Amino acid sequence: MSFSENIRLALQSLKANPLRSVLILIGMAVGIAAVLHVVVLGELTQKRINERLQKMGSDVLRIRPGFSRMHGVRTGEKKVNLKWDEANELVAQSQVITEAVPVYSGGGDVAFRDKNWSTQITGTTPAYQHVNNDHPAEGRFFSAQELTERARVAILGTTVYEKLFDNVSPLGKTIFIKSQPFLVIGLLEAKGESWSNPDDQVFVPITTAQERLFGVDHLSTILAQMRSAADYDEALFDIESILRRSHRLSRDAENDFQVRRQDFFLATIQETNEELARFIIVIALVSLVVGGIGIANVMLISVAERIREIGIRRAIGARKFHILFQFLTESMMLGFFGGILGVGGGMLFNHFYIDAGLLLPWPWIAYSFGICAGIGILAGIYPAFRAANMNVIDALRHE
Amino acid sequence: MDALIQMQALTKIYQTGTVSVRALAGIDLEIQKNEYVAIMGPSGSGKSTLMNIIGCLDMPSAGRYFLGQDDIRDLSDNRLSEIRSRKIGFVFQSFNLLPRVSALQNIALPLIYLGFPPKTRERLAAEALDRVGLGDRKQHKPNELSGGQRQRIAIARALVTQPDLILADEPTGNLDSKTGEEIMALIQVLHDQGHTVIIVTHEPYIAAHAARIIRLRDGLIESDLPAKPQNLPRAR
Ligand SMILES: Nc1ncnc2c1ncn2[C@@H]1O[C@H](COP(=O)(O)OP(=O)(O)OP(=O)(O)O)[C@@H](O)[C@H]1O
Ligand SMILES: [Mg+2]
Repeated sequence: MSFSENIRLALQSLKANPLRSVLILIGMAVGIAAVLHVVVLGELTQKRINERLQKMGSDVLRIRPGFSRMHGVRTGEKKVNLKWDEANELVAQSQVITEAVPVYSGGGDVAFRDKNWSTQITGTTPAYQHVNNDHPAEGRFFSAQELTERARVAILGTTVYEKLFDNVSPLGKTIFIKSQPFLVIGLLEAKGESWSNPDDQVFVPITTAQERLFGVDHLSTILAQMRSAADYDEALFDIESILRRSHRLSRDAENDFQVRRQDFFLATIQETNEELARFIIVIALVSLVVGGIGIANVMLISVAERIREIGIRRAIGARKFHILFQFLTESMMLGFFGGILGVGGGMLFNHFYIDAGLLLPWPWIAYSFGICAGIGILAGIYPAFRAANMNVIDALRHE
Repeated sequence: MDALIQMQALTKIYQTGTVSVRALAGIDLEIQKNEYVAIMGPSGSGKSTLMNIIGCLDMPSAGRYFLGQDDIRDLSDNRLSEIRSRKIGFVFQSFNLLPRVSALQNIALPLIYLGFPPKTRERLAAEALDRVGLGDRKQHKPNELSGGQRQRIAIARALVTQPDLILADEPTGNLDSKTGEEIMALIQVLHDQGHTVIIVTHEPYIAAHAARIIRLRDGLIESDLPAKPQNLPRAR
């Protein structure tokens, strides 16, 4: 008796009780669907995270001032203690920091003709472009000379451009930033929305920002470019020792600044994601076990209903393993159908709920079918064994 | 002549709780190839028990049973299954057909376990169906057939493997006498074609088809005689 005939036989017998078969498989199907959902969701998120990482560069550290404290309680006010000199110190003194870009940004209104937009004005140096991977799509970034001249030149983020201009090139136009006229010399590539909108910014030379627009001499951020992401520990050590010395912190004082990897929040999201995935997979495992118990139950009923059939088959020459395989195949098929229900349900859910498109996790689909069929076989072992080892005469006489 | 069946001091004891029943109390029996034997006896005398042991469906409690050259005590369960499918065709009083399966598939069932390919199975099953005169009922399920027709299907299933031995335990027990005669005519043909036939019956007119009549009582052979008319009990 060949395997395909066993399968035909199993289908025949499952067809005799389709509702029972489907009902018992629903739990298992939900488990499989949940796993596929988590897997696809995880892959999608990972893909997006990877794309963002590529854009931001994971080898850049972001240094910000710490919060001031009053009697040990955080007041919410940033300290004003980062200086441009310190950025230069970092490059000069650390082996692993190849560049340190000073940034000062603050809020302000920008206007072009009758349009007005409140945005973030970011002052920096030309090095910002390659450290932050931020390049002009049109025009250019400002030059070193414009930096030293405190020139009134501006590069627009796409959001700002869209708010102020109607599809005309902004290059060569004069806009007003905090009521001072600036010449637009560039338009940045869109970076895309993430946790904040990096396109809602206007870039100007930091000298211009500090002296002409905001009247300050401190920084809001230093972007420190490491030789490579692997230098993180050493870079952190250097930054801390250089800044602590320059801020004259006593040995037991806390840092009055913070250093973060650019990808810090991505790692957090990734972790949350993985935790969620683990949780759902545990639920899925439980539902698979429950599904297996259900299959075992159905198979026991099926065997009990067919004692006479087993007797007849044995009487006319079926060996024990013929009966064993007949019932094992049946329970395997049950499991397999559970897999089909689950994979189908999972794919539909993904399609409508997270718009996964054609993202089909083939290995996982294959695992799902394998696991379901395996559970079917496991669940069928005991019932099939009972069927195979029945006393022939007793089975034949069974009413 | 070669002995097909040889039994010596064969007993069968059923243990049900504390009660034990001696269904067979010491049977010595020899049946040759191509014999046509009827087994008779009152209810509970051990006829079915003996048939089941002859058909390798059950094992004796003690004594010896040779089927052809094989001492069945030495045979594995697999080998016993093989003997059932290859050497023995069983016809039961209650037909014992698979209910959800067509006539043709029922007949082909023993061939499946002998490993015949599907095409051959279908051909042999169709031939067997023709031989019992139901060639036009291939796709009928058992519940779409009369009792006599079901028993014909069962006979076709018993003969499809061309077994040495055909065992029929009250094959006409569930049928009226006219249908019973038709079934007996079929069995007669099988015997004429060279099969050894053993049949259990309560009916003298059925037993009259056989050449030898063995009478059981309380698990023992009471008489074992050629089937001459004077040896038959009166019809009820
Ligand atoms: N599985 C069993 N368990 C216990 N006792 C049994 C079993 N099968 C048969 N017996 C007993 O063995 C004895 C012989 O039974 P058997 O079925 O062989 O009788 P029989 O001659 O075929 O009777 P009938 O003409 O009614 O079919 C009976 O007393 C019966 O109760
Ligand atoms: Mg009987």
